[in-house]
Amino acid sequence: MNNIFKFSFGILSTLGVAWLAFVVGARKQFGDLTPTSSFLNENGKSPEGSDLYPIAFSGAAQQGAEEYLSLGCATCHTQQVRLVDAGFDVERGWGKRPSVARDYILQNEVNIGNTRVGPDLANLGLREYSDEWLHQHLFEPQSLIKKSICPPNPFLYEIMETNTSGSIQISSEDNSTRFVKPKIIANRIVAYLQELRQDYELPEMSFVEEDEPVAIIPDIIEKTTAQLPSWLTDQISSGKEIYTKVGPGGGGCVSCHQPTGLGQPGVFPPLANSDWVLGDKERIIKISMHGLMGEIEVSGVKYNGVMIPPGVPPGSLTNQQIANVLTYIRNDWGNSASAVSPEEVANVRNSVKDRGQMQMWTVAELNSDK
Amino acid sequence: MKISDEQLIDKSAKWVISFFVASAGLWLLAAALLAYIAAAKLTNPFFLSSYEFFTYGKVKITQANAFVYGWGGNSIFAISIWIIARLSQAEVRGRIILIVSGFIWNIGITLGLLGILDGHMNSHEMLEMPKEIWPLLFISYSIITCLIIVLHRSRKLPDTIAPQWFILASILWFPALFIIAWHGLEINPSAGTVQSVLSMWFGQNLIWLWLTPFALGVAYYIIPSIIGKPIDKYYLAIFGFWCIAALAPWSVVHHLEGGPVPMWIPAIGTVMSIAMIFPIAVASTNFHATAFQDIDKVWSSLPLRFVIFGTLSYTLSSYIGVIFSLPAVAKLTQFSIINEFHFNQRVYGFFSMIVFGAVYHMLPKITGREITKAAKSFHFWTSALGVMMLLLAYLIGGLTHGVLAQQPSLDWANSVISSIQPYFLITEISFIILGFSQLVFVINIWKVLVPNPFEDSSRNKKFASKASIV
Repeated sequence: MNNIFKFSFGILSTLGVAWLAFVVGARKQFGDLTPTSSFLNENGKSPEGSDLYPIAFSGAAQQGAEEYLSLGCATCHTQQVRLVDAGFDVERGWGKRPSVARDYILQNEVNIGNTRVGPDLANLGLREYSDEWLHQHLFEPQSLIKKSICPPNPFLYEIMETNTSGSIQISSEDNSTRFVKPKIIANRIVAYLQELRQDYELPEMSFVEEDEPVAIIPDIIEKTTAQLPSWLTDQISSGKEIYTKVGPGGGGCVSCHQPTGLGQPGVFPPLANSDWVLGDKERIIKISMHGLMGEIEVSGVKYNGVMIPPGVPPGSLTNQQIANVLTYIRNDWGNSASAVSPEEVANVRNSVKDRGQMQMWTVAELNSDK
Repeated sequence: MKISDEQLIDKSAKWVISFFVASAGLWLLAAALLAYIAAAKLTNPFFLSSYEFFTYGKVKITQANAFVYGWGGNSIFAISIWIIARLSQAEVRGRIILIVSGFIWNIGITLGLLGILDGHMNSHEMLEMPKEIWPLLFISYSIITCLIIVLHRSRKLPDTIAPQWFILASILWFPALFIIAWHGLEINPSAGTVQSVLSMWFGQNLIWLWLTPFALGVAYYIIPSIIGKPIDKYYLAIFGFWCIAALAPWSVVHHLEGGPVPMWIPAIGTVMSIAMIFPIAVASTNFHATAFQDIDKVWSSLPLRFVIFGTLSYTLSSYIGVIFSLPAVAKLTQFSIINEFHFNQRVYGFFSMIVFGAVYHMLPKITGREITKAAKSFHFWTSALGVMMLLLAYLIGGLTHGVLAQQPSLDWANSVISSIQPYFLITEISFIILGFSQLVFVINIWKVLVPNPFEDSSRNKKFASKASIV
């Protein structure tokens, strides 16, 4: 204790031991993770040609990350979904699965944060906010969420005199309306926020299975259909009801395809961004009347199961109901395609009127008829 | 007139210490102003919102840095130079170099904080100042440390005692931590959350291994010297010291519970946090068993009252900290504003209170001028009130925040955050009280450091004649 050199040696070696663990040890254990595929084959390798995750940010998002950091957003927002037994992050809808170390390996600035005065942003890109909504929120959060205590960032925008192209309308609490044009920094931040998504599975962490499907569809409709004609909004909102309702008069679609339209990996195919939903109308009309069985490939993944004719009891949906629900699924979760009319459904129904009610289609039949 | 050895030592240190104390005071005011701005932005998000310089995140982080490096750093230099000189019974040497290095340190922090406000923030906890500033800070810090070590090695008695261990360890741990963090984050960085672990480890250790042992060392010095009795159960102090040295670097990472890092990292943090009850108990026994032998003295001597407030706060809230590191509780409070409770308790309730006491004890000795008791007393009561309001608001608010956040059905902005808004208002009021109290402190110390030439000149002359004899 009396010799300063021995003393220094002592106190620095206690620190050194902790350094060995937290720096040298941690780096050895998870410092050299690389992107990998969702599932590994028997040899513990990624199958040939499979997609590797995580995906690197685009250039704009990379710059947005720097701006996010320099504005100090990480002071209030975390970007980590905790393990299921450590918190209720997944239940709150902040992610489909807990975050793992591998999710962050391609980020230059790791903003995992440690305080949540604002919500977690690890999966903001999955919450389907439009760019416009995010800009409105950045400019003045209170124009969207009245009680938000997130400070506005008007310095990221130019305030315009009139509604010019590319400008965004802000309706403040006091009913005043302004038009603002995002500066480049704001565009980068929005690009970054939209790319915050852990929507892939990794060998070490798969999606958390929900115990019971929650029959709540996020209120996106109001947002994305604001400028649509009223007959179409009516058709979409009625379709949403049919999609969600499990019981007489409903379609019960939600129990397999989920409120998110993403289905369940490996079991029920997604509707969001699916060629089957967005493509040829005749095929999905047929499926909606009689169901489907056998192998089907959706967005590059093969599924093999049985889809009984929708409706309770099965196959009981009217032409109008089928038209509505198909219009709905073609226009939610980022989908955007033309509406389906009752007449189109009636035509298809006439062309296959000899078919039995429970005689399900196969993919081969659907494609050969075409 | 005969001058004692102590007075010679104090005189040798006068300018150096005056410089550091005066700068520390200014940083304290800057931090108080920033703390108020940050708190006000939480109660009214539109406050100063049109200035890019003053986003909440920037202000909050600048405040923490101004507080830790500006106020903390300068007061650590001032008080450790004085205590080490006194205990070594040696005069301070290299005074010019000390002041020049201190000047560079302060310039570095000023530039660094302006850098943060200008949008050049770094992402690592307590290393947020721009990268370019750090070599400057590190070199100036190292020069000051070297001179303190030289001072320590010129001591007359070979045996060292507790205040020396704690203070020397604290000033040596900071550069070691810095080198580790700088190497792992900038020179040879690794990808992903390895960085986050290291940056959190550094940020928390800065509080645990820099500010905490320093304040403990000061308490070990001030309490017996004012009470006039040796530390009770002094033989435990060495055990407490090595417990902190061995456990603290491990105990700081439990904030990553359930996060994207391997499980052993938060788990080991939790275990070691619980083990920290030993050094906490030792320090608390040493301080309080000594001080409470003479309760009247604690009450009547303001420096001692400040120090005992700090040590009591240390004991109490360290135990609270242990409770909050248990996984069942951590799950509730992990990301809540309870983090603010821990930080403010360390820096205001514990570190600053002890530094206030030490400065009030030290300044009259080195300048020969007394600070009026009423002014000190006013400072004490406003500080105590402000700190207690602040900590209670963060503690209760943090628990509310954590519990509500664990209920997935509650809407975030409308239910969770709006229920803790009243606590934000209380913290805003507390920061006003604290800012006011710190202004009184700075006026108190500046009045003795830079006396008004027109007032009370007889006493100044007396002091001047006293000095001229030397």
